[in-house]
Amino acid sequence: MISNQGLTMASFEIQMTVNGREVRQPVSPHLRLLDFLREELHWTGSKEGCGAGECGSCSVFVDGVLMKSCLMPVAKAQHTEIETIEGLEEQGKLSVLQQAFQKMGASQCGYCIPGMMMAATAALKTNPHADREEIKERLGGNICRCTGYQKIFDATELARDVMNDKLPTKTLEEETEQESYIGSSSFRLDTSGKVTGALKYAGDMVMPQMLHMQVLRSPFPHAEILEIDTSDAEAMSGVEAVVTCIDVPGIDGFGVFKDDQPVLARDKVRYVGEAVAAVAAEDLITAKDALKRIKVQYKQLPVLTKPEEAIKTGAAIVHDDVPDNIVMHIPIRKGNVEKAMIESDYVIEESYYTQPVEHAYLEPEAGLAYLDSDGTLVIQSPSQNITHHRHKLAKILDMPVNKVRMIMSAVGGGFGGKEDMHYQGILALAVLKCRRPVRYVFTREESIIASAKRHPFSINYQLGLNRDGLIQASRIHMLSDAGAYNCSTEGVMRKAAILGAGPYAIENLMVDAIGVYTNNTPNGAMRTFGAMQSQFATECHLDLCAETLKMDPVELRRINFLRQGDETHTRQKLESVSMLEVFDSALDISQWESGISNSRGATRSDLGLSGNRPPCTLGARQFQHETVSAGQSA
Amino acid sequence: MLYCDHYHVPQTLDEAFDLIQINHDRHKVLAGATDLLPWAREGRAGDVNFEAVIDITKIADLSKWELHGSRVSLGANVTMSQLLNNPFLRKHIPIMAKSAIWFADDQIREQATLAGNLINASPAADSTPPMLAMNAEIILDRKLNGKFMQRKMSLDEFVTGPGKTKLEEGELLTRVICDSMPEYGSAFEKVGHRRSLVISTVCLAALIRLTEDGTKFKDVRLALGGTGPVPVRLHESEACLINQTVETELINKSANLAIKHVNSRTRQDYRREVVFNFVKRGIMEAIKDFNKACTEIKNDIQPGIDHG
Amino acid sequence: MNAPLRKYSRHKRGRGVAAAWYGIARTATIDRAGAWAELDDGGTAKIITGVTEIGEGILTVLAQIAADELGIRPQDVTIGDNDTARSPEAAHAGATRQTYMIGNAVALACREARKRLVKELAHEWEIAEDDINCSNRMVSTVDKSRCITMSEAVDICKNKGVVPVGSGSFTANHTGLDPEDGSGSPWQAYVYGAQVAEVEVDTETGEVQVLGVWASHDVGRAVNPQGVEGQIEGGVVMAVGQTLMEDYKQADGYPSTMNLAKYILPTSLDVPQVTSAIVEDPDPLSPLGVKGIGEPSMIPTAPAIINAIYDAVGVRIHSLPATPEKVLAALRDKQKSADSEEMQAQSF
Ligand code: FES
Ligand code: FES
Repeated sequence: MISNQGLTMASFEIQMTVNGREVRQPVSPHLRLLDFLREELHWTGSKEGCGAGECGSCSVFVDGVLMKSCLMPVAKAQHTEIETIEGLEEQGKLSVLQQAFQKMGASQCGYCIPGMMMAATAALKTNPHADREEIKERLGGNICRCTGYQKIFDATELARDVMNDKLPTKTLEEETEQESYIGSSSFRLDTSGKVTGALKYAGDMVMPQMLHMQVLRSPFPHAEILEIDTSDAEAMSGVEAVVTCIDVPGIDGFGVFKDDQPVLARDKVRYVGEAVAAVAAEDLITAKDALKRIKVQYKQLPVLTKPEEAIKTGAAIVHDDVPDNIVMHIPIRKGNVEKAMIESDYVIEESYYTQPVEHAYLEPEAGLAYLDSDGTLVIQSPSQNITHHRHKLAKILDMPVNKVRMIMSAVGGGFGGKEDMHYQGILALAVLKCRRPVRYVFTREESIIASAKRHPFSINYQLGLNRDGLIQASRIHMLSDAGAYNCSTEGVMRKAAILGAGPYAIENLMVDAIGVYTNNTPNGAMRTFGAMQSQFATECHLDLCAETLKMDPVELRRINFLRQGDETHTRQKLESVSMLEVFDSALDISQWESGISNSRGATRSDLGLSGNRPPCTLGARQFQHETVSAGQSA
Repeated sequence: MLYCDHYHVPQTLDEAFDLIQINHDRHKVLAGATDLLPWAREGRAGDVNFEAVIDITKIADLSKWELHGSRVSLGANVTMSQLLNNPFLRKHIPIMAKSAIWFADDQIREQATLAGNLINASPAADSTPPMLAMNAEIILDRKLNGKFMQRKMSLDEFVTGPGKTKLEEGELLTRVICDSMPEYGSAFEKVGHRRSLVISTVCLAALIRLTEDGTKFKDVRLALGGTGPVPVRLHESEACLINQTVETELINKSANLAIKHVNSRTRQDYRREVVFNFVKRGIMEAIKDFNKACTEIKNDIQPGIDHG
Repeated sequence: MNAPLRKYSRHKRGRGVAAAWYGIARTATIDRAGAWAELDDGGTAKIITGVTEIGEGILTVLAQIAADELGIRPQDVTIGDNDTARSPEAAHAGATRQTYMIGNAVALACREARKRLVKELAHEWEIAEDDINCSNRMVSTVDKSRCITMSEAVDICKNKGVVPVGSGSFTANHTGLDPEDGSGSPWQAYVYGAQVAEVEVDTETGEVQVLGVWASHDVGRAVNPQGVEGQIEGGVVMAVGQTLMEDYKQADGYPSTMNLAKYILPTSLDVPQVTSAIVEDPDPLSPLGVKGIGEPSMIPTAPAIINAIYDAVGVRIHSLPATPEKVLAALRDKQKSADSEEMQAQSF
């Protein structure tokens, strides 16, 4: 194994057909088919979701066979015929499958769709009569984070039936003229670009003179930065700029609720993966090489990994201005909990835990930044909050707000994870330094370690109830790991606290949600913002209580639900409450059988009804109709 | 990223060996690439640079399979997809199809090779237990000073630890030879954290042949993966069944004998329990498979011609 | 689809239920969104707003709202979005706020644009503004005595020197929480949800398969029911991932699940069939009555699954994810305590 430095690569001539066009040109041997298609030929329909064969967003046909182009050195594709998502349309008309995806609303963010579309096309090509279970198996290598797959299965089945003349072609069309469009399932406006691969995400964009950025990240969870020496990297040919925190012209710091995170680490690093320095260079390889020549001297500091320890006196301090490490404590108090607990017939206690979770949007972060002719700094990135990011950036760059322009590029999934401005600032510094367009595309690994996660929660739950099941008092104590920076911790604690006790009328209540700094990956906004963590505990706990009380868990909920005119836990009077109606609707559509004990799976009669899928037996398609393959000798 | 200065695609073994010799310690042999490319990434090997990558997948000899008496000889380039779909292979080594369906996904199976999976020597490699159960041997070839040399060893001997094998510098694994077992009932059991694209926490291969009256075990082959540094053949569990009457008590005993093979770094309790359940279940399923398949089939496919 | 029950006794089935609630738009702080609208040549329309489409389908929702307000079709609407230098502030994609906040802002902007147009036509036709209808790309008097296309109407308006534009700003008057007791009105609009999950537990491996989820959600007025379903299905499956397999792990501050081989996401073979029911309880406090669904769809799923596991095999999992190891360990503990109870019973 040889290091990368002083790398010379012989190119060779590649010859292939891509979407019907002959291609013959020199390539570097280290390219993967995916790189070649995207970077050299600019067929950017195929996406890179993971680069490691785990997601399928790069799936293409190689000589008619579905393959993951991120796992294929380009040389393997020598003399082959390649078909990508861009090749599926026939004479400018969407294929049946593409139309079916459009009809069923099968694409959301669209990032998985090019690969998914190829896989679905392959499935029906392999077996034009594939049933739903076989379709699922054949799509087993393609991850979608948005849709839950159901509409993708539906669309594939619809296309199959149209192709087999079981359904008329007009099933694929939209109902156009309508009296009212509110309440109708109109086609998504953005759908055709998603099913054809025409939609450009930030990582698909290029500009003349564009530079490539790479970021050096902290190898330690907690360390003081003694020195950063960038001179070697700066001296490399092809390197346009190296940026560190000293390049920040304005007031450094960003965050959703508190600006506690520097654009690039300042004085110390607080988690593994924190950005420390960045390089903008003529090409990706040079930028990567330059990172290796930046010398950073660290002095490791004691590491905090558990919130329980972080709140102890004498614990290490993550941020100097927060000596107790408590990011935010939201209390909610109502009535007299002590007294109500004593007077309750039952007090039931249990602890719950939820884990940190990765958003895993299929599109890793990416951004393209440049200066407009009038000197306005423009950043195109899949930001979920362009307004806020513009303000933060203006302050960091010491520029007037109207000289910072944020454009949201197509977002390949966000789920809250793209609310943090954790790389746009770095791009801005690089552009201001080199005055050339700069692009930065994360790898999946980088995306995972650098971006915020869902907050893990440890929850202690105490519920006081009377014999009849009426809740008398609730005490919920939640301790959560904020990780190294605030991100959205303040808001997450607030929402967890407000909603945590659930949609129930409770007179006496004591809720605490406490978020704590540690040296773990920061935790931030993620779909439900703390509400799924706290309500997870509530809904599990109610079942536990129902069992203790020998009550039907459905009944227990029903008698305690909030009703019109009730006050919430924060003493807000509610005008209209649909809880009961919604609950009954769920029981109704599931044909729920009511009953007292809640461990009665063996005796229930409402199992296996419609609305279930069959249990998955892998290889069903292969082995179910298998003829005899072994035999006793005759 | 995997960087290389030259990417070679030899068409014959001879060419491959010449390339290996020229680039002796600066080369990497690559077949499916489905493990190598993910390996050369952040958090694992990181950026890796080789002067020469030698892609052996176009060597026609290595893509063939043949029946030699009661043994099947598989070229190193046989893919997972061929194991899953090729009628000849499914007739002679049916358990490989059952294991291949669990391997990654449709797309990766097109590229990934059996030999690659064995050489990687992952403790959880799905192909190793069934191959162990089929008494697999591997052929290692090399060319030294113009002379071909060959070593042959059992798979058991070949895999020495996690990611470690007896493959030596300059050697190529060219063939895998295993028993042809069309008259066995087989089962492959696997558990991971999801049901597609998943790495085994535990996997088990079971091959069973009963006596003609169906009351006794004539032969039993069991092998386990995911439970320790290397997949293992369960000789004791087999021995306690062979020539014995088929009965639950005995199967439980056999399953119990397997538990001690769990010496993974993590999740030992879990694996012990699953191993016991898998051995039991694997045997039962293989018996069922054996009984189901009681008519002899004639298959006209000629070895080495059909490549799926 | 009717799924036959498995015969093997190692597979146990059960069901669980859970309820949830959620607040719409920014929490405990005033929320705002702005939009501009223009009725354009050819009877089309432009809507400009800083909305950020993240895949949920908000652009389509806004086009439907605009179409409804203006009497044209969604495909006639062009949306200029997501650019801080070109569009009014609509703030972030999050807090299940976009349909509610920006939807209402767009409706208000459209109403103003439409009013401008109608005023000119009323003048032209010498009738009252209230006597003019816009629908189906036509502008007509209520009695249908006059009827022209929207395209013609825009021409007339422009020939009179008026561009039919409008702007809208929508406010959600939320109040902060009291720092001592947390009292306050964090939201104007609340939504509610409930889900039932059916699981199958493999008692030999601890694997749990979620086979069905029945999800009922109040979303206020549903603008695009298919889109709402999509949000429900996606939310449920994301929650299935968190409940059964996903786990971002770190040891001493070093992440160990930094790729998608280690960080396990649900694939097409791991997801339940989802049956959705949309309950429409319109928000009384805002022009459109819409609320939202993006986030709340995933709240009840995890507890419904965990409760279903208990129903199936009698073990309570208190910490997520409910991996096969955890479920099997819980089953083992349960067995042990059952055995020891039996032993005690025998010894008496
Ligand atoms: S599988 Fe190729 S990019 Fe994920
Ligand atoms: S639509 Fe599939 S990942 Fe977003």
